Amino acid sequence: MADGHPTREQLERFLSADLPRPESRHVLRHLLAGCTACREEAAGIFTFAADDDADEALLARLSPALDAAYDRAIDGAFRAVERRRGELERERAAAATLCTELEQHPPSRQQLLVRNSARFATPALCELLLVRSHEACFQDAERALELAELAKTVVERHQLREPSGEPESMIPGLTARCWGAVGNAQRLRGDYAAAERAFVASDAVLQESVLEPLDRARVLDWKASLRKDQRQFPEALRLLDRVTAIYQRLGQRHLLGKALAQKAAVCGESGDVPEAIVLLREALQHLDLEEEPRQVLVARHNLIHYLNQSGLHREAFALLFHTRPLYLEHGGRVGLLRLRWLEGSVASGLGRTAQAEVAFREAREGYLEQGRDYEAALVSLDLAMLYAGEGRTTDVRRLAEEMLPVFGSRQIHREALAALIVFRRAAEMEEAGMELVRSVADFLNRARNNPELRFA
Amino acid sequence: MSVQDHHPHVDGSMELFLERVRPRLKCVFVRYRIPPDDADDLLQQALLAFVHQSGEVRDPGAWLAGTLRHKCLLYWRDRRRKVYDAVDDAMLEWLAQPQAPTQEDADLQRDVENLIERLPQRCRSLLQLRYKMGYEAPELARRLGYRPSSIGKVTTRCLAALTRYMIAAGLGKERQHG
Repeated sequence: MADGHPTREQLERFLSADLPRPESRHVLRHLLAGCTACREEAAGIFTFAADDDADEALLARLSPALDAAYDRAIDGAFRAVERRRGELERERAAAATLCTELEQHPPSRQQLLVRNSARFATPALCELLLVRSHEACFQDAERALELAELAKTVVERHQLREPSGEPESMIPGLTARCWGAVGNAQRLRGDYAAAERAFVASDAVLQESVLEPLDRARVLDWKASLRKDQRQFPEALRLLDRVTAIYQRLGQRHLLGKALAQKAAVCGESGDVPEAIVLLREALQHLDLEEEPRQVLVARHNLIHYLNQSGLHREAFALLFHTRPLYLEHGGRVGLLRLRWLEGSVASGLGRTAQAEVAFREAREGYLEQGRDYEAALVSLDLAMLYAGEGRTTDVRRLAEEMLPVFGSRQIHREALAALIVFRRAAEMEEAGMELVRSVADFLNRARNNPELRFA
Repeated sequence: MSVQDHHPHVDGSMELFLERVRPRLKCVFVRYRIPPDDADDLLQQALLAFVHQSGEVRDPGAWLAGTLRHKCLLYWRDRRRKVYDAVDDAMLEWLAQPQAPTQEDADLQRDVENLIERLPQRCRSLLQLRYKMGYEAPELARRLGYRPSSIGKVTTRCLAALTRYMIAAGLGKERQHG
């Protein structure tokens, strides 16, 4: 120490917690006494370069010695990881074989095998089961749950073994994802209490461990879906803000677009349609058509719906016109029915009632053929609204008479059916005006994921 | 030299990928002042995460730079915690001297008190109870109305504020990520 002042090296080591205790005390005492020069130097050591410094400017200031040292560090890291990459490819191939083996047994036996045989306890198998669970979500929530539970058992069994070269964050990341996948599958099954328990478990892992940001984002995203279905909209939006921040930092534009579209859905359901429109426009700037055309289609579909709902019928019509090829190519049977329904809504908004009626009728028939009663009920109500708007009370009554026997015999929950009964009674008395039809339709939309909701 | 890369996928060769992302990785190291001795380890962690998650990553260059930034922030967060702990240890030791204070000890005590006086009220109360009254975490939580599980985090935040004031600026200006 020159003249009682710590040297720059001592300050650097002090601020890296790398200075022996007596020297550290001395530096601390010196800073406490308020030496301005040393405080400034210390502050400079710990301040990162300002965000607005361009990368080029940072590199230009890099000394040749430091540049070479970083090159060595980068080369060394790549060499080490190349070795691990080869091992990982072998582990993944083995996991695919193990997965095929498991699939030959019934689910209860699969759990038993994974619990009792150490060869199944590999992170690669856990990852593969999580992928399969995610794929199953769209078709079969029960199977998605079984696979997520199986993945969880795999990672729990793996934790009992010695670490084998995987990154430190990997096992907590997989554990959190397993709980998140269980929670998501339970949500899709409609068991919100079980979903909640799973997310409590995933939260504990998120809080206690250092996770890769992508793993964290995925779990938060699933949890936001649960909050949306539970109609806890502010919490869903708060979680999605965290998700979008992560994707932004990682430069994952497509995933950012998906999260923004998810946020828009929350806003739309909570009644904030203008914000939903803003978010969907932003989402569409990030979503990659080549990567996931269906996701782009869904975002455009929702945007058209919200534009139409906001009275921007012409803009909705124009966007619908440009989106039609996407429906035809990637929509599938259900997508085409949604297109027809939306065409009816937009035509109705534009006052083209004859076109709207044909479109609604076709969509309704299509949904009934597919056994999608809930959608059919909602289209029927759109049709009823169209009739009511034109004072066609006889047509409203006829529609109500047709609806109830069909929906009464199918999988529509009690409260939704009660709302339809209210609608039919009003129609019988020729009192089913637009307001009543709109409130029944609004109720059915809100009650779709919430059978406990009461129609008042 | 361009420091952007827009290659959508790692096209088989990690070496090509490395050459494309090298300038971006160096920028992250420079921006976060990572000592070269630690840079290798941080990048290895990020790359290991990359090879495990590569199937889900869309823009590998951006992902790797983002993940490396995250690792750098965690690196400094850990380092800073150690600094806060060192500050805390030293304070506790100095202020708990049982014998009559020397002039130097009295000066030190005054400097510490002046510093604590400049902190926000919540931190002032906590640090005064900690350094003057010698209260441990459970007692601090009870007296200040915090949950026992969160008093550790609150204490760390107050130690960070104390250290920040001590160094006047810079230290403690950490950005919270992830």
